Amino acid sequence: MSVPVFLHVDMDAFYASVEQRDNPEYIGRPVIVGAQPGHRGVVSACSYEAREYGIHSAMPISQAHRLCPNGVFLPVRMRWYQEVSSTIMSILTRHTPDLQQMSVDEAFLNMTGTERLLGPVVETARKIKEEVLRETSLTISVGVAPSKYLAKLASERDKPDGLCVVEPGDESAFVAGLPLKALWGIGKRTLSHLNALGVTTIAQLREYSKGDLAAHFGSAASGYLHAVCRGEDPGLYSDHAHSHSISGERTFESDVKNTPALERTLLEIAESCMHRLMEEQARSRTVTLKLRLADFTTFTQRKTVDHDIAAAEELFAVAKELMYRKWDRSTPVRLIGCGLGNVESGAPEAQQDLFDDRADRQRRAEAAVFSLRKRGMKVGRARLLKRNGPGSERRRDP
Amino acid sequence: MKFTCERDVILKEITIAQEIISSRNALSILSNVLIHAENKELTIRATDLKVGFETTIPVDVAAEGSTTVYCDKFLGILRSLPSGDVEFEQEDSNRFVIRPLFKKIDFRLKSIASDKFPELQLAPVESFFEFPQADLIDMIGQTVFAVSDDETRYFMNGVYLENIEGQLVMVATDGRRLSYIGRSVETQLPDFAGVIVPPKILNLIRKLASGEGTVRLAVAEKSIFVHFDNQRVSSALIEGQFPNYQRVIPENQEYHLLVKRDELQEALKRVSLLVEKSRRIYLTVKEDAITLRSDESEIGQATEEISCEYQGPEMTLAMNYTYLAEPLRVVESENITMHFTESNKAITINPEPETDYFHIVMPMQLD
Repeated sequence: MSVPVFLHVDMDAFYASVEQRDNPEYIGRPVIVGAQPGHRGVVSACSYEAREYGIHSAMPISQAHRLCPNGVFLPVRMRWYQEVSSTIMSILTRHTPDLQQMSVDEAFLNMTGTERLLGPVVETARKIKEEVLRETSLTISVGVAPSKYLAKLASERDKPDGLCVVEPGDESAFVAGLPLKALWGIGKRTLSHLNALGVTTIAQLREYSKGDLAAHFGSAASGYLHAVCRGEDPGLYSDHAHSHSISGERTFESDVKNTPALERTLLEIAESCMHRLMEEQARSRTVTLKLRLADFTTFTQRKTVDHDIAAAEELFAVAKELMYRKWDRSTPVRLIGCGLGNVESGAPEAQQDLFDDRADRQRRAEAAVFSLRKRGMKVGRARLLKRNGPGSERRRDP
Repeated sequence: MKFTCERDVILKEITIAQEIISSRNALSILSNVLIHAENKELTIRATDLKVGFETTIPVDVAAEGSTTVYCDKFLGILRSLPSGDVEFEQEDSNRFVIRPLFKKIDFRLKSIASDKFPELQLAPVESFFEFPQADLIDMIGQTVFAVSDDETRYFMNGVYLENIEGQLVMVATDGRRLSYIGRSVETQLPDFAGVIVPPKILNLIRKLASGEGTVRLAVAEKSIFVHFDNQRVSSALIEGQFPNYQRVIPENQEYHLLVKRDELQEALKRVSLLVEKSRRIYLTVKEDAITLRSDESEIGQATEEISCEYQGPEMTLAMNYTYLAEPLRVVESENITMHFTESNKAITINPEPETDYFHIVMPMQLD
């Protein structure tokens, strides 16, 4: 069993950074994204320049305006941020099939066991940072650690544009160097409660036994505090016990309304989802589809079939069926996505088939293609070969 | 158009009409039911373009004519009315008035002209053959539950119907279990190529059939037609190639056991309470006993032993319990036999004594 290693990717002051990138005149100025001054509402995000004025997210906008009357106050362009986010997420998926997106600007990447394939994880983290910067002109902070919780703390530490690595064995030492309030999950209330007990540092917190903590914070919170101050993963982000989903989506450069192009994209996404599923050695019976039309009307559909989805071809077939439930074949489409829901780990289903098992043959064919690709060979569906552009030449060499 | 009809009589037919109409589609003329009064008779017609339904009931016609109204609301109105005679009248060109006699109730439904309503398909009269209703209901009951609802295997989304040497045969499968019935009746069956019949019309037939007398059937290339005394239903057939089912019917199975159907059914019900999503249940057979067992799970585990007649080696079979429960629900005999050879080969469930139907189940892997 390989040593677990996770990356936590956190985009730096995401909304504000996107605004500064799109409007270079805002660079170096305090940018506050959120409600407009004079209206009700709060700060959704702010640039590092704005933070120097004491502004932080969730602060009432009126207060932010008092603190920094000359700031650049901008409305939230959520859809745009989501698009930028999905571009970044797609960069991340190049490096691991096991991506757990936590929010628009945050994701965990399980890199366990990828070192042989991709090289040292720290190098991958650097590469991700470079690729994101090159392709989106945005900076991200990355934490590398043996658990998700620590990876999250690590990404926070050297923000912005940070890269912080916690080596196995250093967990406890790493946490010891942090201020108490840096521990994720310790909010204002807990912190003031701890302070009232005379606890202001992590070292002091470590002196309390689980039982002592339980007397003050209850049994659930005590276990949590006891674990996190020692650098142990409290299991906050563990998704392996539960089912999760695997999906992908693509926003078109310009809206698409031709059926072959749309189906082709859907097949590509289906293929990548299926490969992620195989990589995880998991199974799923639920197909999901997401469709966003030019006017931003968004449909999500799901369907559960009575057997495990065996191959990309099958995922594609079901997703296509879902797509045509909602798409009239003429309205321009802005985004298409599909995926697998209720993904569970474990061997494929045990039910045997009466007839020649076509699904099984498909599954084996795809697994073979997948393993060839992992070894760097270019193997793919003839249907997905591009007519023009790279990859159009016929490959005759094995 | 103007006619009078007993509320209960028309309600019964409109209820069926609404079942035909697909509520999933956007509102269109197909959401409407056609009403046609002529010659002391009222004809009601509904379709979703695949399944068509037409019924004729005797009414008191004051003025002939026809129209279409939104079936869902029409049904709602009829349901809300007290029993008794109701007068229906087409006023102007787009108002359909529903007026119970001796009551001060007045509903006016917008109507759409009937000429926009699709015609129902008709089969040539000479292609019909008679078939006993009771037998047809039996045959549907033994098979329809086994069809696949997986639209990617659309060719298994219906019951295969064919004429084998004068026997009417119905087969349904979802690829993992199969149900078969072949019934010989006295009437001569016409020759027709095997067809795949959607379950919607089969379930409708079960609903419409009284179980007495005969029904008239016609199988055409793309549709099937079923006529009762005053009700006619038709359905488009599922196009595609039904799998070669005869190949998977086991010829010789080495072992068999005999068990009381009720006992097995009850035990299965109990043990399956602790079967999780895998639906896997284990049957261990040994001399004169079957042990049913669930997987050990987070919830717990269940075991039950029942007696049976069995001589053979001890063997464990794993099955999806619904694939066992569903046939047990429809097998009519007091005792059943199960035939099998080894743990990864098909299992056959038969009534005892054997008759003209059986059910085949592929097992699950044991581990």
